[in-house]
Amino acid sequence: MVTSNYQKEFDAVVIGAGNGGLTAAATLAGKGMKTLLLEQHNLPGGFATSFVRGRFEFEPSLHEISDFGPPEDKGNVRQLLEDKIGLDLQWIRVPEAYRLIIPNEKGGRLDVVMPFGKEEYLSKMEEYVPGSRHSVTEFIRLCEEVVNAFSYLAESKGNADKNVLTDKYSNFLKTAPYSLQEVLDALKIPYLAQKILTAYWCYIGLGTNRMNFTIFAAMFYRYITRAAYIPKYRSHGYTVALDKKIRELGGEIQYNTKVEKILVDDGKVVGIETTRGDRIKTNYIVSNASPHLVYNQLIYPKNEVPEIALKTCNARKVGFSAFVVYLGLNKSPEELGINEYSYFVYSTPDTNDIYKQFNKLERPTGQATVCLNNSIPDCSPEGTSIVYLTTLYSGDSWSNVESKDYFKLKNKIAEEMIDEFEKAVGINIRDSIEEIEVATPATFANYTGAFNGSVYGYEPVAWDSVLPRMMCMNDEKYIKGLEFAGGFAFRCHGYSSSLQSGETAALLTYRDYMEVKNNEQRKIEHQS
Amino acid sequence: MNKEKLNIKVKPLGILDLLAFKKLIPARKKNISNASPAIIEAIPPVNTLAERLHPKHQYLIIEDIINETPSAKTFRVVPDMESGTGELAQFRPGQYLSFAFKINGATVKRPYSISSTPQEALEGYYDITVKKGEGGFVTSYIWDNWHTGTKIVSGGPEGHFYYNNLRDSKKLIGIAGGCGITPFRSIAKSIVEGSIDAELTLFYGCNKKDDLIFYNEFNELEKNSKGRFKVVYVLAEEDIEGFEQGFITSDLISRHTDIENSSFFICGPQGLYNFISKELSNLRIVRKLIRREVFGEIKDIGKYAGFPDEVSEKTFNVKVHMGDSFTTIPAMPKESLLVAMERAGLCPPASCRSGSCGVCRSLLIDGNVFIPEDVDGRRHADIQFGYIHPCSTFPTGDIEMIVPRES
Repeated sequence: MVTSNYQKEFDAVVIGAGNGGLTAAATLAGKGMKTLLLEQHNLPGGFATSFVRGRFEFEPSLHEISDFGPPEDKGNVRQLLEDKIGLDLQWIRVPEAYRLIIPNEKGGRLDVVMPFGKEEYLSKMEEYVPGSRHSVTEFIRLCEEVVNAFSYLAESKGNADKNVLTDKYSNFLKTAPYSLQEVLDALKIPYLAQKILTAYWCYIGLGTNRMNFTIFAAMFYRYITRAAYIPKYRSHGYTVALDKKIRELGGEIQYNTKVEKILVDDGKVVGIETTRGDRIKTNYIVSNASPHLVYNQLIYPKNEVPEIALKTCNARKVGFSAFVVYLGLNKSPEELGINEYSYFVYSTPDTNDIYKQFNKLERPTGQATVCLNNSIPDCSPEGTSIVYLTTLYSGDSWSNVESKDYFKLKNKIAEEMIDEFEKAVGINIRDSIEEIEVATPATFANYTGAFNGSVYGYEPVAWDSVLPRMMCMNDEKYIKGLEFAGGFAFRCHGYSSSLQSGETAALLTYRDYMEVKNNEQRKIEHQS
Repeated sequence: MNKEKLNIKVKPLGILDLLAFKKLIPARKKNISNASPAIIEAIPPVNTLAERLHPKHQYLIIEDIINETPSAKTFRVVPDMESGTGELAQFRPGQYLSFAFKINGATVKRPYSISSTPQEALEGYYDITVKKGEGGFVTSYIWDNWHTGTKIVSGGPEGHFYYNNLRDSKKLIGIAGGCGITPFRSIAKSIVEGSIDAELTLFYGCNKKDDLIFYNEFNELEKNSKGRFKVVYVLAEEDIEGFEQGFITSDLISRHTDIENSSFFICGPQGLYNFISKELSNLRIVRKLIRREVFGEIKDIGKYAGFPDEVSEKTFNVKVHMGDSFTTIPAMPKESLLVAMERAGLCPPASCRSGSCGVCRSLLIDGNVFIPEDVDGRRHADIQFGYIHPCSTFPTGDIEMIVPRES
C-alpha cells in the first residue's frame, strides 16, 4: 500500500459532522489534538439542521432532547455542551411530556396529557388509571436505579466493581437481560398505565416485546425527571455554534468533502482519502458514519476488514428510517386547536403491531407530531405555526419504490398522516397549509448518506443494548485508531446519546493517542 | 416516595434473573459468531433510490434543437450513457436543472427550468428552452456552443415551483413573463396528460406576438384539454385582435378567470414579479395562494432601498479561503459575491442564484455586505453567526470569507 504522498497530516480526523462528529471534533480539538472534521454536505449537523421554505424555518428531525435539564440542575447533555465545550445558547423547555392518543384502545379511546416531574407524572397517572400509583412508583424507582447504574459504569470506565454492582444495582443487573414488556408485567402495572408509560417507545423504535428494558428505563427517567429541551433556533442553531467552537479551538472543517476511503495498514488506521482525491495522514479516526458504512464500504484495502467486524455488522439490525411531513400553517396553534407541543398518535394499540407495520410500505399506524410554536411561540411569524408529523419506516420497506412513483407516494403517505392526526385530535389543518415539505427515507439518505436512509442506529434488543455494548467495547474494537460516534455507537440513537457518544469516542481516542505519545517519549528518554 | 429497598424479580426467582444477566455477553458473542461474514458490496436500496432522484451530476447529450422563435430555442437532451448517466432523474413539473459553464476563464452556473414533462423524462429526454439575451452572456455562449451532439452536464432537478395537491387550490392561475413561460409548458402538458389533477389558466405576457414561445403548442394543448387549460396572451407593444393588450393587471385576470380560491404561480423577470405583487395586493390574496419561482440574480441592486450609493462605483478586495487555497479577487458592489468569484475563475458551489437554496452558503469572516431582504433565504442561526449566501450578497467594503469547495 502507498503510504507516501499525503498532502496533510492531522492528529485526528472526524468523518461526518452530525451530532456525534461535532462533539467529537470539539472534544478532540479542546484536548489540543490537531483535528480535521470532514462533512459531505455543505452544512454541519447531519439530521440536526434546519431548512427554510417561504417564511418558515423547519426543524428536520429533533423532537426533544433528554438528559438536558434546567441550568440549575444540568443534565449530562447540557453539561457537555455548556460546561465542557463552552456553548452559550438559548434552550427552551418543552411544556409537557406528551399527549398520547390511541383512538382504538381496548375499552375505548385513550387520550391523555402527561406532565414532566416524578410526582406530577405519578399523580396524573393515578388520575387516569386509579390504583396504578404503587406499581408505577416502583417502575420509576427501578428506572432511577438503571440511570444510576449507567452513571456508575460510565465513571468506572470499564473497570466496574462486581460487588458494587450486585450490592447497589442488583435490580439493574436482574432486569438488564429482559424486554420492556417483561419488566412491565413483572411489576404488575395495569394495562392502561403500561400504554401510557410506553408512549416514548417510538423514539427508540422497537416494540415493547423486543426493546431492552434498561434503554427505555434510562430514557424515560431522564425525560420525566429532567424534562426535555429544544434549541431556540432549530438544531442548526447549536450545530452551527459547534462548528464555530471547533474552529476557535484550532480544529479545521471542510464541507462538501466526502471520505471515500479509510486507509488501514496492518490493522491500524493510517489515513483517509476523499472523493476529490485529498490524501490525509492520520492515525486516529472518529467515524460518525456507521460501522455498516465503514466496514462494508470505507475501509481500504478490503483485506484489512476483519471478518469479525462484518459478522458484528450482520448480527445486528439497522434501525428505522423516518418519514416526516413538515407543515407551515397560516393559522396560529390556538386558531387551529393545537394545544400541546408533542403528540403521540397510535392508531393501532399494540406497539409490537405498529413496529411490524413500520416494516411495510403501508398506511402509517403511528406518528409523533410536534407543534413547534407550543414551545417557541415566535418560531414562525405571528398568526402562523409549524407542525411536523413523523412516522418510521424500515429502509427495506422502500426498496421497491420506483423513482417514477416517488412523488405521488410521498404525497399519499403525507395525506394519510395528516388525516390520521386531524381525526385523532378532531381538528382541520390541511386547509391552512402554506408550505409543505415531505422527507422520506430517500431524503435522509440523500442528505446524510446514512446506510439505507436509517435515522436510528442498531436496534437495542437485550443482547445489543447499551450494557452489553459497553461491556464488549474493548473486544469489539477491530481497527486500531478507529472509534465510532453517533446513533450507531454504543450509547444507541437519539440526540442526547449521539451528542454524548462523540465526547466518549474523542476521550477514548485521546487516551490512546497520549499512551502512544508517552511510550515514544519514554523510549527516547531510555535511549538517551 | 416509598424508600424501602426495591427487589425486582422478573422471573419468579431473582437468582434466575442474575443468571440471565450472566448469559447476556455469551449470547452476544454467540449471535456475532453465528452471523454471516459477508461484505455488503451493493449500495443499499434507499441510497440507490436517493441517487436516482438526486444525482449530483447528470451527463447529457443534445439530441435535437428546435427553433421556437427567432430568439428562443429548445434543446432536447438525452442521457450520455458513455459518461455514466443511464437515466434522467424524475422531477416535478416546474423544477429546474442547474448547468455549469466555463466561459473565458470564468466558471458560471445557470438554472434553467425543464420545459418537458416527467413522462417525457421516462421516455428518455428533457427539454430545456432558452431565450437569448435573458440571463446575459451565458445565453450567447449557449447559442454559439450548444449544437446537436454537444455534451453538457447538469445537476439533479431542484426548486420549489411546483403544484402540490396538499397545499394548492385545484384552480391554478399561471402568470408568465418572457422566458418565465418554460416551466408552464411542463405544468400545462402534465395537466392535459392527466398526471396533474388541476386546472390552469395561464396569462402569458410578452412584448410582441412573435416573441411568444410555444404559441402553436399551447393553442393545441388548450384545444385538447377539455377545458382544463386555457391560455391568455398579453402583448405589451402590439394590439392584435384575439390578444390582450398591455400588462397582466388584476382587472385583466378577473376578466378571464375566477380569482377566488385560486393558487397563483408566477414566473418571470423581477420586474414582472414586482408588478404582479402590487396587483395581487389590491386583491388581498392570502400568501398561501401565491407562489413564485425565484428570478435569479438581482440586476438592479442600486435601486434597492438601503443600498449605499456612495460605494456603488468602487471596487473592493475579497479574500476567499476555499479548501486549502487562498485568493484575493476584485468585486464590485453592484454584482453579487458569487459573480465576483465566478469571474475570477474560482469554482464556488451555486445553484438557484436567488438567495434561496443555500448551496453557496459561506462564512463571512470580515467586511460589510448588503443583502436585500426579499432574497435573504438564510437560516436564523446563519444570520447570527455571519453566514451569507454569496448569490444574493453584495459587497460594500473589503471582504474576507470562507467558501466551501464545490462538492
